[in-house]
Amino acid sequence: MPVPRFDFAQVPVTFAAYFNEQLRGWDTLFPAEQAYFERLGKYLEKTDAKLFAALAALEPRMGVTLSNWPRGSFTLQQVDFLNRNPLYPEWRRVITEIFDRISPELDAEVAARGQPRLVIVIGPSDLPVGPDRMWTRLIGKGRRVSLTVPDELTQYLPSLLASSKLESLSDLCAASRGPYSSWAIETASNLLPYSAQATQLSYDKLAPYRQRLMTEVQKIAEAGEVRGPRQLGEKLKTLSPRGAEFSKDPVMSEFVRATLLAGNGTLLVNNTFVEWASVQALRRAKPVLLISSFGIRNKMKPFSSLLIFNDQETATAIPTQADMLGSYVDLEIFYQYIWQEAGKYAEYRNNTAYLFLAEGMDEMQLIAPPDFPLSAHKLTLADLYRASREWLRLG
Amino acid sequence: MLTRDFLKLVGLSIAQRILPPSLLSLWAQAAEAQAKGRKVILVTFGGGVRNSETFSPEGLRNIPRLAALRPEGFFYKTCQNQGVLSHFNSTASIVTGNWQRVDDFGFEAPASATIFEHFRKGLKAGPLDAWVVATNKSFASMGSSSQRDLGLPFGANVVLPKQLLLDAVKDIVKQPRREDLSDRDAVHRRLETILQEGYEGVGWTIFKVGRQMDKHVQVALTRALGEFINGPEAPTSGDELTYFITREVMREFAPRLLLVNFWDMDVAHWGSYSLYLQAITRTDRLTGMLWDEIQANAKYKDRTTMLILPELGRDGDINTANGFLNHRSGDPSCRNTWLLALGAGVTKGMTDRPLRHVDVAATAAAMLDVKADGLLGQPAKEIFF
Repeated sequence: MPVPRFDFAQVPVTFAAYFNEQLRGWDTLFPAEQAYFERLGKYLEKTDAKLFAALAALEPRMGVTLSNWPRGSFTLQQVDFLNRNPLYPEWRRVITEIFDRISPELDAEVAARGQPRLVIVIGPSDLPVGPDRMWTRLIGKGRRVSLTVPDELTQYLPSLLASSKLESLSDLCAASRGPYSSWAIETASNLLPYSAQATQLSYDKLAPYRQRLMTEVQKIAEAGEVRGPRQLGEKLKTLSPRGAEFSKDPVMSEFVRATLLAGNGTLLVNNTFVEWASVQALRRAKPVLLISSFGIRNKMKPFSSLLIFNDQETATAIPTQADMLGSYVDLEIFYQYIWQEAGKYAEYRNNTAYLFLAEGMDEMQLIAPPDFPLSAHKLTLADLYRASREWLRLG
Repeated sequence: MLTRDFLKLVGLSIAQRILPPSLLSLWAQAAEAQAKGRKVILVTFGGGVRNSETFSPEGLRNIPRLAALRPEGFFYKTCQNQGVLSHFNSTASIVTGNWQRVDDFGFEAPASATIFEHFRKGLKAGPLDAWVVATNKSFASMGSSSQRDLGLPFGANVVLPKQLLLDAVKDIVKQPRREDLSDRDAVHRRLETILQEGYEGVGWTIFKVGRQMDKHVQVALTRALGEFINGPEAPTSGDELTYFITREVMREFAPRLLLVNFWDMDVAHWGSYSLYLQAITRTDRLTGMLWDEIQANAKYKDRTTMLILPELGRDGDINTANGFLNHRSGDPSCRNTWLLALGAGVTKGMTDRPLRHVDVAATAAAMLDVKADGLLGQPAKEIFF
């Protein structure tokens, strides 16, 4: 899709700058994002100038001028200008109010074309708690469902995610709606066999790229060439995945780079990567099917954990230890954040089923519209597969 | 380490070197004369912590020491950060009594005069009487402002203990056939070497003459490091080191004005809720230990006011980019923190009246009987007897 052009003469510069920045990265936007900005751009072109009256009045009070905010520019200095401006809280409030006016109208268009969606979140088998404590932040949002699970743990994912004919939910969804419609994000590589045609992200598989980024971050920090995270981020924009580190798809390449560098601990903590990548996928790509699989993170090691960009495995002879309890605490809040993030977007409201599971566990937390096709009695994983497939209308 | 690196790390460095011995002597006499006076210790939960993990009903389990101390002091349920929600600007607003909008990462000194400068100039307090001990290594310039008539000569000594530890660990990691980081003795040896040979790297600002480090200070620091490294638990935390250094500073120099910045809880940026909770509980424990030290130390007992507050909150779980991981949304969870006042001159109680971060410096000034002009903040009148 070519970069669209809009006439934003009536749009105040601090708002237009954000929009133009998005257009600059047009080729690295997902189709869902491009569609959103197309709708937003057309809406802004025809909207009444009164929508921006408060912002237009505020900008001069903030000291915004043509010289520090020339039309079409958006720089780190301008970001700093906003952040440090005494009227920044008011600016944020006004921007929020503008979006509060815009969003319902844009959302209505999306909702009119709504389709069933599915989010599956899988916890690791080693968590030291039972089903009664697995999803405490989601109690009251849905119901716990009893499951009959295979005796062999290795059969859990195959039974849940694919049919006996090896037709996987992820691949069926990707085949019918495109690769960005179906995502499989995980700490390890357990989902890979069931998502060959989908968009795959594995923290473990990204290890070479992560290591290269950490080395570069450390080099840049030690050289003292950058003043802070924003400048560091600018410098690291050039460090895209290369070769076998990730696909040749520029959209995904940029997604992975941004996820690892703008997501705080995503470079360092496996479950943070899965959570932030899932949240970003929901926000940006709006997949029809998202499968997120968490793992166990390691304990931080004495001393070496202070050097966050050093390889923790080689910095000390102390053996790596899994942190089961810590991982449980981390994941409980991440389940909530993923569920919550999806609910922010019209694409997911009222038509999304959420399956929260843990490998080997004989219960799950289900949050779904009333018409999600599950019977009340105890279910097998194959029942769950069939219900999910029917829900997504995957033939 | 190059001097410019040092200056970047530690900010203050030259006050004692440029002042004549006669003036230092006068300061010492003034300090002695006021030795029985009020002392103030500001403790910040740096990195930011939300009400939901601290003084909310469900958060109290993370802060058993502060929860137990609350009835002994005065508690503000709300202490608002209305300024820039970066670490440096937040703490700079606390110590200056004015909302600061300087560089977010500590490359500029606070623009308004700090409480340390008001205190030292107003009471003719000596250089050993005002200290900042900070885990956040970007706080090198927190001890004084860029005000021309005040600034460095009246600033606090700034100590960045974590930077010392980082340098030691880094050196060991870089050695070709390196000593392993699990070897505490190796780390201790390296730390002592840094102290003896390369003090410029540790964020230490006390100097007697020229480049010679004050022997007294060196001994005190080395002892604190030894206790830290050889303590009963494997030390993993910059805040633990900050506590030990603070305790040594209190025992050896008994400053009247001290800022202690804990910062481990900023691990929340890594996205580990459990590590964030652990850090909160550790800060609670260390703050309790500081209070115990005040009670056990004759130079502090019954004459010290401790003001404890988070430098900022963190984003709420709803409607923000990623909840506890960040602290820039400006939502109430970010801006509304709390303040607990304990000790000398503090009445017992609790109020719903919101305090502001800029009121803290004014409160400290009132406690110390320091005249501080130009503060936006007002003393927290409820806490005074």
